[in-house]
Amino acid sequence: MVRFEEVSLCYDAGPEILSRVSFALDPGSFHFVTGASGAGKSSLLRLLFLGLQPSGGRFSLFGRDVAGLSRSERALVRRRIGVVFQDFRLLAHLNVVENVALPLRVTGQKGQKIHEHVTELLSWVGLADQLNAKPPTLSGGQQQRVAIARAVIARPSLLLADEPTGNVDDRLAVRLLYLLEELNKLGTTVLIATHNESLVARFNHPVLRLKDGSITLERAAYVSSTSTAGTAA
Amino acid sequence: MVYLASLAVAAALLVHQVTERWQTSLSEGLTIQVPPPAAADAGGAYTARVDQLIQILREWPGVAHARHLGPAEVSALLEPWLGEAGVSQDLPVPALIAVELAPGAAPDLPALTSELQGVVPGVLVDDHQRWLGDLLALGQSIKIGALVVVLLIILSAVIAVIFLTRTGLAIHQQVISLLHVIGAHDAYIAQQFQIHAFRLGLAGGLFGLSLAAATILSVGAWLRATENEVLPDLALSLSNWSLLLLLPPATALVAMLTARLTVLRSLSRMP
Repeated sequence: MVRFEEVSLCYDAGPEILSRVSFALDPGSFHFVTGASGAGKSSLLRLLFLGLQPSGGRFSLFGRDVAGLSRSERALVRRRIGVVFQDFRLLAHLNVVENVALPLRVTGQKGQKIHEHVTELLSWVGLADQLNAKPPTLSGGQQQRVAIARAVIARPSLLLADEPTGNVDDRLAVRLLYLLEELNKLGTTVLIATHNESLVARFNHPVLRLKDGSITLERAAYVSSTSTAGTAA
Repeated sequence: MVYLASLAVAAALLVHQVTERWQTSLSEGLTIQVPPPAAADAGGAYTARVDQLIQILREWPGVAHARHLGPAEVSALLEPWLGEAGVSQDLPVPALIAVELAPGAAPDLPALTSELQGVVPGVLVDDHQRWLGDLLALGQSIKIGALVVVLLIILSAVIAVIFLTRTGLAIHQQVISLLHVIGAHDAYIAQQFQIHAFRLGLAGGLFGLSLAAATILSVGAWLRATENEVLPDLALSLSNWSLLLLLPPATALVAMLTARLTVLRSLSRMP
């Protein structure tokens, strides 16, 4: 599904955010990526949804080397990736249904079928009574569920979540994580960036730990690391 | 901008229409100027020589018709410049002979001039080409000027659309970034902007053309009401109006293409 080989990343002439990082994510796996603020968690996710270009190394997504992809192919790869942002990034001028339907519209789908699909998903995440609401009128937890629904509506193969519980309370955070586990059980590969160690401890999944630009894998089903070894599962 | 472009195009079309009309009417004839008689030569002898000239003209190859313009007609011709009081019987005015040429005829003007001057020295054969040449050159200059104006307007419109589109891109940066992340092709994003630009361009174009049409029709009506005799009738033909009707969709297309290219260029900088 995902393979990083000696990938480095730095912004302009600044210090390296990621330094020759290597790891792999198997299809259907569930991983956390943790580290202190500024460790590079969000940057790693941005690389994964092709929002950044690495300054060194190579990585592949869905078996394809990203460096060899044309602009059009990169757009098609992004359609297989769902992203949940920490700040939700919902469009305030669209209602909940329209926000969630956006990935389907981009692929050219139209009409009643979209509406049915979207309302079914929103019921699943517990927002059946908020279909016509605009995001600013929703609570943080509700907005995050809309963001999750939008990220999974197109049945992505890979789901990336950047601090999905950052703006909600602990109880809701646990509920959201259970929701993402349900998605994982349906076959979606999930990678969650979080600095919430208690949440990581509660859910027994492999952890990619970022520190000083390097990555270690803990409690792994698959191990590949170029730096200090962590505790294997 | 469409208002200005419409006025420029209308001016060019009117000039073209008028110069074509002038060219047709003036090229189909000659004007023979017979110098006014000396005091001792006035009366019947002068008239006989004019009649002789007319006879020569009527028999000349390529001449369809020749006619002596009477004093009343000459006075009417001079009145716009000299006024009613300016035209008097004492004013030595040359006799004028209007010659109509056969369609497609090209008579030997030097030979004709020589033949006519044999009867009355100093006769002038005016084929109107010098005056027509000046008019056509003026008309051509106006048309070129109108074309330059239209090109400048197009350039201004393109620049305006580029800046407006860039502003739109900046304002909608969040939306564009999100569409990019969820896998929208560049063409999909560009399409949203180009549709908007097309609609705005068409609406603005139709508004500008309506104003221009009102201006053109008003000016034409005013000129007719003032009974001016210097300027020709400023009425555009149906085909000319059809050409003007193309301006709004053409503007919309220019706006749409400019917006599309601007967006695609901006998006190409995103990873």
